[in-house]
Amino acid sequence: MSVGGEKAKNRRGIHGWLNPYHYNAERWAYFFQRVTGVAILLYVLGHLGDTSFFVGGPTGTGPSPSAWAFIGSIFENSFGHLILILVVLVLFFHGVNGVRLILAEFGVILGKPSAIEYPYKPKGLSYGQKVLIYVAIAIAVAAAVWAFLVLFEGLG
Amino acid sequence: MKESRLMLVQYATAVAAVALVSVHLIMQGVIYPYATAISFNNILSVYRNGFYAIFLEALLVVVLVHGFNGVRIILNEFRQTKPWETWVDLGTVLAIVVTVAYGTRTVILAVFGGASG
Repeated sequence: MSVGGEKAKNRRGIHGWLNPYHYNAERWAYFFQRVTGVAILLYVLGHLGDTSFFVGGPTGTGPSPSAWAFIGSIFENSFGHLILILVVLVLFFHGVNGVRLILAEFGVILGKPSAIEYPYKPKGLSYGQKVLIYVAIAIAVAAAVWAFLVLFEGLG
Repeated sequence: MKESRLMLVQYATAVAAVALVSVHLIMQGVIYPYATAISFNNILSVYRNGFYAIFLEALLVVVLVHGFNGVRIILNEFRQTKPWETWVDLGTVLAIVVTVAYGTRTVILAVFGGASG
């Protein structure tokens, strides 16, 4: 590939993220770590807004049962609970996959270096890291089931 | 601040967030049933427990620093010119200050504010 072509390839920006061609498990984990991170931040900003209604909203001056009941009437329903379950799902994936990334950053679960061989397929990272990606998915699904039971079945 | 330091901030806030968010979730559906956890009187008692008010403030700061620093990292992956990085850094600091201030206002009013109807 020419220098110009390589430069263009490395500057694909968000299109590079959204093109799943030739993705392996690590690349999918990279993609979802960023997507879930942005989604969680958006949720946190919304959560900052809705919890502020506990004190009457942006113009409130103290704890307000009526404002809290108002915001509850908007979000405390089946649709709001489905959103919360999705938040729990992405939160747990982001958290566990994030721990994997931190361990990798500090060299704890990196694979051994090996010679580059034809056909130059990406070898991915260590077995431990691949296992942790699947563990992150399993924990996220289990947490979402737990959230479903808490929100829809009254568990807790 | 050097990029390596900012990445350490990202990892430190990540570890803190895992611990703090875990406790926060446990409070919402394990220690109390969800309906009780979000009731007005329960939340008021939680805010007015000094320890948990400090916990919520720490959660607020840790999550927002981690979140906006994460967005900064993503934006700097897209483009690496000096003006871009400067504006992204300034926007990140501004976003953290504004959102932490708004969340802190909620905590302070919940702890010290009088009932407003």
